[in-house]
This record gives sequence, structure tokens and C-alpha cells, in this order.
Amino acid sequence: MSDALTRAEPVPSAPFVGDGISISLAAPMMRYSLRARQPQALETLLGVKVPKKIGAMEEGIACLGPDEWLLRAPIGSKIVGGAGLPVSLVDISERAICLVVEGPRSAEILNAGCPLDLDRFAVGRATRTIFETVEIVLLRLAEDRFHVEVWRSFAPWMWTALTTAAHH
Amino acid sequence: MILIHCPYCDEKRPEIEFAYAGQAHIARPVDPDSYSDEEWERFLFIRANPRGRHHERWRHSHGCGRFFNAVRDTVTDKFETTYKAGEPRK
Repeated sequence: MSDALTRAEPVPSAPFVGDGISISLAAPMMRYSLRARQPQALETLLGVKVPKKIGAMEEGIACLGPDEWLLRAPIGSKIVGGAGLPVSLVDISERAICLVVEGPRSAEILNAGCPLDLDRFAVGRATRTIFETVEIVLLRLAEDRFHVEVWRSFAPWMWTALTTAAHH
Repeated sequence: MILIHCPYCDEKRPEIEFAYAGQAHIARPVDPDSYSDEEWERFLFIRANPRGRHHERWRHSHGCGRFFNAVRDTVTDKFETTYKAGEPRK
């Protein structure tokens, strides 16, 4: 975890505000990639229920695949080790940044590059998908609020793509 | 855009999330040492190219990441069905 004073983010720290849309950089957070054949092993380790259905999200844990989960937590959260259990926990906190897309036009602007049918993408869902050619994890936190997890090196492009779509 | 049903996510997802991965149900040699050159040739290079129903592997690469099998009509490009890897040929 890099020091807050020396962080250099790949996108502007000032939010983009347009007509019915705001795009901003979320605060840094902890991200863990959790892998396990048996979700019960993860539940034993973390002490919380993990969602079993792919695309579901519960308490910051999103089920991305049949044996894959993404855990997002505020910085400073205590993450247990997992020794002895048949699970894998990998710290990927700095691999991605999160863009918050908010406002009544957010679904429309995301659909500029993301082919998912967002009318059928209910609040509380999370999935890996694609924005034009860039892989993202899309999370719907509210009707008008999405989180876009994008790999750091793709983030400047993603920012330009979203803000350009918001101008139109 | 074609929508493909992912048997793991259990929903129809846009085609560009997927990657084609060749013909399905090609068994790896159980005992590679016993394979003759002709058998290796058949295993590595010889593929069906039907006009119509084709069994294919696909991967939901920008989604759940899983390989699965699909039956697609090569004339109409319609997906007849998709099913999880390891399930018998449909």
C-alpha cells in the first residue's frame, strides 16, 4: 500500500461533472481476489457469507465466477491469512482503481462502451465485463450509481472514454 | 450483437465478452507415448468443418472466465444450446 502522500493517480482527482452525470475517482481501497473450490472454506475463513450466484454482491464481496470472488474493503480492514484452508487470497489493491459513475445518465453513458443490458442489471449486482476493448468489473450500488473497477494502466483511457461519452 | 447463454452465469451475455476456442470434445491422448505420428496428426490438426451443427468450445473470458461447450449452426450462426464443460455431447 503506497503512502497517501506519494500516491500518483492515473486520472484527475477533481470529479468530472456534466449534465446528469458525475464521474469521480473513488478513495483507495483494499481489494482481494479470493479463489476457492468450496465457498464454505472462504466462509469459515472470513466469518461472513459469500454470495453463491455469479454476479451477486453481498457486503463488499462480489461473486465473479464459480470459484472466484472479489473482496473490496476500506483501507485498514483486517484480512485474515487463510493458512491451512484450501483457499487463495491475493492482495490486488493497487491493480485497479475505481471510478464512480453517478447520476441519472450513468447507465446511458456506460452503455456507450459496455454492451450489457443495464436495464436488467439490478442494484446489488456485480460482474466482470468489457468496455469497448477494456476489461472492467462493473458494480451497481444504486439505481443511479455504478462503480467501474478498471486496471490502473487502462484508467486514463477509461476516464477519457467516459468523459467523452458524457459530453455527447 | 449475438447474445450467448453462459451456462455458468446462467444468463445471456453479449458476444464480445466471449472467445471462441476451437472444436469441442477432442479428447487428449490417455497414453501419449503409444501414439503414432498419424494419431498425433489427427489429434493436433484434423478438425471437423461441418456445414450446419458444430460442437465448439467457448470461453466467457470477460465474464466468469469459464470454458464451456456450445452447439452452433455454422450457416445461420445461431446457438442451439450451451452446456458446461465435462457434460456429455448434446
